[in-house]
Amino acid sequence: MKNKILIYLFSFSTIGLFHSCADNLGLEPAQSISENIVLDTDRNVKNVLNGAYSVLQRGAIYGGEIIRNGELLAGDGEILFVGTFGGPRQIFNKQMIAENEDVRRQWTDSYNAINVVNNVLTAIPVVNEDDRDRVEGEALFIRGMVYFDLVRYYAKTYESGQSNTQPGVPLVLTPTRGIDASNSLSRNSVEEVYTQVLADLTRAVSLLPATNGISATSGAANALLARVYLQKGDFAKARDAANTVIESGEYILKNDYASVFNADVAGSEDIFAIEFTSQDVAASTTEFWSIPQFGGRDGDIEILPGHLALYDADDERLALFFEGAAAIRSGKWNNQFGVVNLFRLAEMYLIRAETNLRLGTSIGATPLSDYNTIHTRAGLAAKNNISLVDIISEKRLELAHEGHKIHEHKRLKLDVGDLPYNDPKLIFPIPARELESNPNLTQNDGY
Amino acid sequence: MKQLLLSISLMFFGFTLVHGQRTISGKVTDTSGDGLIGANVIAKEVAGLGTITDVDGNYVLKISNDVKTLLISYTGYESQEISISSSNTLNVTLSEGKLLEEVVVVGYGTQIKSQLTGNIAKVSGDAIQNAPVPSIQEALQGRAAGVFIESSNGKTGGANRMRIRGSSSISASNQPLFVVDGIPLSTESLNSTGAALNPLSDINSNDIESVEILKDASAGAIYGSRAANGVVLITTKKGKEGISKINFNLQTGFSSPTNKREFMNSDEFIEYFRHAAANSDVLEGDTFWAGFVEGRFDRYSGPAGDLDDNGIFKWVDQPVNTNWQDQAFRTGRSLLADISAQGGTDKLKYYASGAVNRTEGMLVSNGFERISSRLNLDSKVNSWIDVGLNFSLARTIIEQVAADNAFSTPLQLVALSPITPVRDEDGNLYNTPVTTYYNGLIDTEDAQRKITNFRSITNGYINFKLSEGLNWRSELGYDLYNLKENAFYGSKTEVGLPFNGFGLANYGQTQNLNTKSYLSYVTDFSELGLNATAGIEYQKTDVDNALVEARMFPTDDLKTLASAAEVATGTSSFTEFSFLSYFSRLNFDYQNKYLLTLSGRVDGSSRFGENKRYGFFPAVSVGYVLSEEDFMKDSKVFSFLKVRASYGTTGNAGIGNFQHLGLYGSGSYNNQPGLRPTQIPNPDLGWEVTTQLDLGFDFGILKDRINGEIDYYVKNTSDLLLDVPVPGTSGFTTQTQNIGAVTNKGVELVLNSTNLTGDFKWSTSFNIAYNKNEVTSLGDQQLIDGGSSRFMNVVQVGQPLGVFYGAEYAGVDTQNGDALWYINDPELNDADTTTNDFSAANFVVLGNPTPEIIGGLTNTFGYKGFDLSFTFQGVAGNDIHLAGDSFMACNGCWFDNQTRDQLKSWRNPGDVTNVPQARLGYSNGDQARSSRYLSDGSYLRLRSLTFGYDFPKSLIKKRGLDKLRLYVQGQNLLTFTKYIGWDPEVSTDFAVDNVISGVDFYSAPQPKTITFGLNVGF
Repeated sequence: MKNKILIYLFSFSTIGLFHSCADNLGLEPAQSISENIVLDTDRNVKNVLNGAYSVLQRGAIYGGEIIRNGELLAGDGEILFVGTFGGPRQIFNKQMIAENEDVRRQWTDSYNAINVVNNVLTAIPVVNEDDRDRVEGEALFIRGMVYFDLVRYYAKTYESGQSNTQPGVPLVLTPTRGIDASNSLSRNSVEEVYTQVLADLTRAVSLLPATNGISATSGAANALLARVYLQKGDFAKARDAANTVIESGEYILKNDYASVFNADVAGSEDIFAIEFTSQDVAASTTEFWSIPQFGGRDGDIEILPGHLALYDADDERLALFFEGAAAIRSGKWNNQFGVVNLFRLAEMYLIRAETNLRLGTSIGATPLSDYNTIHTRAGLAAKNNISLVDIISEKRLELAHEGHKIHEHKRLKLDVGDLPYNDPKLIFPIPARELESNPNLTQNDGY
Repeated sequence: MKQLLLSISLMFFGFTLVHGQRTISGKVTDTSGDGLIGANVIAKEVAGLGTITDVDGNYVLKISNDVKTLLISYTGYESQEISISSSNTLNVTLSEGKLLEEVVVVGYGTQIKSQLTGNIAKVSGDAIQNAPVPSIQEALQGRAAGVFIESSNGKTGGANRMRIRGSSSISASNQPLFVVDGIPLSTESLNSTGAALNPLSDINSNDIESVEILKDASAGAIYGSRAANGVVLITTKKGKEGISKINFNLQTGFSSPTNKREFMNSDEFIEYFRHAAANSDVLEGDTFWAGFVEGRFDRYSGPAGDLDDNGIFKWVDQPVNTNWQDQAFRTGRSLLADISAQGGTDKLKYYASGAVNRTEGMLVSNGFERISSRLNLDSKVNSWIDVGLNFSLARTIIEQVAADNAFSTPLQLVALSPITPVRDEDGNLYNTPVTTYYNGLIDTEDAQRKITNFRSITNGYINFKLSEGLNWRSELGYDLYNLKENAFYGSKTEVGLPFNGFGLANYGQTQNLNTKSYLSYVTDFSELGLNATAGIEYQKTDVDNALVEARMFPTDDLKTLASAAEVATGTSSFTEFSFLSYFSRLNFDYQNKYLLTLSGRVDGSSRFGENKRYGFFPAVSVGYVLSEEDFMKDSKVFSFLKVRASYGTTGNAGIGNFQHLGLYGSGSYNNQPGLRPTQIPNPDLGWEVTTQLDLGFDFGILKDRINGEIDYYVKNTSDLLLDVPVPGTSGFTTQTQNIGAVTNKGVELVLNSTNLTGDFKWSTSFNIAYNKNEVTSLGDQQLIDGGSSRFMNVVQVGQPLGVFYGAEYAGVDTQNGDALWYINDPELNDADTTTNDFSAANFVVLGNPTPEIIGGLTNTFGYKGFDLSFTFQGVAGNDIHLAGDSFMACNGCWFDNQTRDQLKSWRNPGDVTNVPQARLGYSNGDQARSSRYLSDGSYLRLRSLTFGYDFPKSLIKKRGLDKLRLYVQGQNLLTFTKYIGWDPEVSTDFAVDNVISGVDFYSAPQPKTITFGLNVGF
């Protein structure tokens, strides 16, 4: 009898124990929250907007590789890639394959950022009324910037004055909520992508404040507009956008060229920058351009005499180069937890100078004056007259190793080594994984 | 001592003694005449009356006249029933039990092997005793048919891959479920840096009684959603009724690499790179590279790059010739010591052990240490309650070297130039820019990476005997795993240099609570036998991690984070999962001839979507023992013959937690909090489903002198838990969906034979398995390519998982030395057209990283006290991708020292060679995704060899010993292979997953180990 009671007690308690366990199958994660509750509050939408900047900060895009790739693709005779990573080596050698991991990551991280801001853009009504314009403007700026770089890297270049029906990149303007056939988009034309970029940026200019901490401002949107119009060959609009930035008075050239770079936070000359803190993964600009002492890999990129010879001996910009790990290095990327400069006032001066000169106008200032502003800041004597070539050369030196080179070559139709500016080898392949997962995409020529 | 134990044992039995009319005595021996210690001698007619034999096998038993029969039994021997005659002396010789009467451990119970209808491979603990390896998987290599085990590389304490009947999953786990004494082992790796750890290194293999590997659906279905990759049941030793035995074992030895590769010496290096530079200058019509290469020679030769008194570079007339490969290795040393005690009475049985394994790896600064203890108790409380507890505690310390892709991993030293001296005049190690890349030896002096694991596996049970044959058993188990990882990188190291030192402290904990209750019922209705089990099980696992990283240290001598000026990372995380399951198994047998097993499990898990929380996994199997039929009973050939078939479903739940939810995760920027979408929801996410058919027969020939098993199986896995690549334009790259299918088909053969008995004994055990793996569906896609310039494993429909997919190398253009590839245009039928433009070559399937044939052969010889045993193990049909050779064998593409075979590069028109012209700074065939860097990975290896001598008992008994054995063991002594890299057992540790395997990337070769041991029993 006693035995039976013991067994009954034991079995009831056991069954009770297991019964309570059944509730334990619906566990929720501790580091993430469900998507259906995230876009419900003002605070969370702003959190998601900040999340978009954290995606931009990734190494594969604006944390540095977008800059690196712009230089590697057109580095012939001026830089040498000696690192062991196969991805950048293929880019440098113009021997890319569609499986290239850096080409893949630049694509997927770009679209990741776009999806984040598309989420923000659907939740604007949730945002407090006072902040709605700013939040929407920032999201549009980010989307415009990312699409502009996608179309520049993954598609044939924009040919000014022609109908640009060549395949660009797919335009995604709504957030992804699930995966089905509708996600298998085909490529929009280059023209359509530029149109979307200009629409986003134009609206962003109207929504954004002039100052906004380290986040995007109307100045940033205008600076990007100037760059987009210049790439399109729409010189008047490029000039006006650049002029608006300069005339806003929000930005001031630094006296000392070297102090523009390696700062911990964006300086007076920075219109928009990605900032790293010691809490972040290090900037990949440093990883590739710098040396172990500063947190670089092994000194993957060496500057060749062919580049150094372009500078005047007194040029302060020449002095920024340094010898490290037994080679000459760019001195712009030695602070791995500092600023990655994306838009600087100097570029605006040079865009205004070039466009004014091309158009024969003097909006804001004469081309010579703008040229000398930049030229003399580098410790060089002012010139009395200049040509278009002078401005372009000045821009090449002023913005050296900041990611502009391949785009300048394409815009100006300059050869890259032996290759003409429109050679398919100077365009990234559409990543193989995209073609495999999306039957509606077409590959670029030559891959 | 033994007298005392004997007296104690006799005291326990004392109460059973009745005033006897006679005393029977005698000796119980084995067939060779040695006394059996602790054999049971029981009076059949009087319950509770019996004794056990002493150390010499003698017994004395007082019996009443009612007793007519004695039962003599001893574990592992055939029991005997002997009628008592008039003589008071009764000597008994027991012969070793038939192998097929073996008992095997199955899920939630045991079964007689001859009655099994599923496929279970058993490896007894004896076979892997004292193996000089850190974990049991290495000791199991080649011992079970269809079980493929591979170490990633030769680093001690590293993880390895175990695949039972092939790989069935692409994105979820392919590792089997490990169950230790009934508790599913936690296998999460919690270290923050470096390669994954091996959870089984926390278990002392000398504590293991047996390892059962459940391979087919019938055996596995009772483990339901986690059995599709097979289940490995590890059972530790239990106490045995009888006289206590103490066993002491001491073993020490040394290790060295199985193979080294040949690299250029300094003369060859200088000549070769001058030649490579000249070729590049010819291409460019310039002299840039000639000057460049001389500058690099000056740089890489360090102080020898200075001019001597005659104005000549010192490296020219005083050349240095450093063999960097040798710098990566040292003579490894190991010390293993363990002591165990085993014994008990009918009321309380125990097994206790303590062990130390200290291994200094053959790679510089790679070490492993395990201190472990165990206590297993089983107690009979009364006639109907048994309780017991298995308790183990182990501390494992791993001095881990960096993963294979780090400049600081020892084998990457081979990239450095032979003209570079190791140290300067003050004895300091050179670093870049003198060394070509970071000198990994600096890590051995200025960095520490130590991982300390604590693991306690505890399982308690209570068993109620409700009535004859009916038992209720409840178990509560806990697998508690703690990890403590401390690393410090001094100011000279690659990691610490930019920060004046960098340190991290990482604490992780996995708590795995497991509880189950089940009823079992055994009965025999005359000819019908029934064995039924049914129960319920719940598992909850919590995983915690806390990590702090800091930098800016005042000096390299202060290594804890308290000294650091800046905390760079401080983070903690938590994750959990749970399983609630109901399981059952019914075994029927009719006349011991017709066998039927039904089994199944219902599994619910937090890992799956709300629409698919519970799954049912049933299996059925039948067996027919032909040798029990009258027409077979007198067969001269077959002593045993059974055919069996099984069919059933198992699942795979080996994915991360919460993959079914749509999630936003942290995305902070500029020290401000942020959120960003990280995962798309999939409420329909469920398990992978594997249906498996197994047809086999077991046989014994010539009174079981030869026995074996043959099996054919088809394993169809569908609804794969696939990380389906989705268009990146969605903002996501993958979504875990139940899509795709994989098939594994194969044949397994096991043969055991006793070739010679008598004084000279010889037995052989052989197994071989063939498995054909094919990905049969990927949903809408045909190909999943991870996308990399360095690796080329892909998943393609119609091909085995992870095939190598790249450009087909066509050798060298004899006229200009260009590397060539076949274009392989799918549109054209032009197998022979080649190109020197790598990106113009279409990728094709080039090879398979997974062996199709695996096998092992063990021979054991004995003569008097001597024994010799050796195991050959081999794999065939696979290729290895030498991804690292795209740097070290790239015909001088950059300054990495080159393997000597690159000296054969093309030099003059007409040269026929496979090595393209050397061109410094150019890609001339160095693309890793090419069949140029594939090599046949088949091998046959003398995996282990043991030669030992047991001193005769007559000699050692006087010293109070029961056993004295000296032995020498070898591991990996011989390897036969065509593989051109270091070692064909390789899957580089930093990249290995289900798809990327068979890749060699500066991966250390396996160690060749010789140890000397002493084994004492008393």
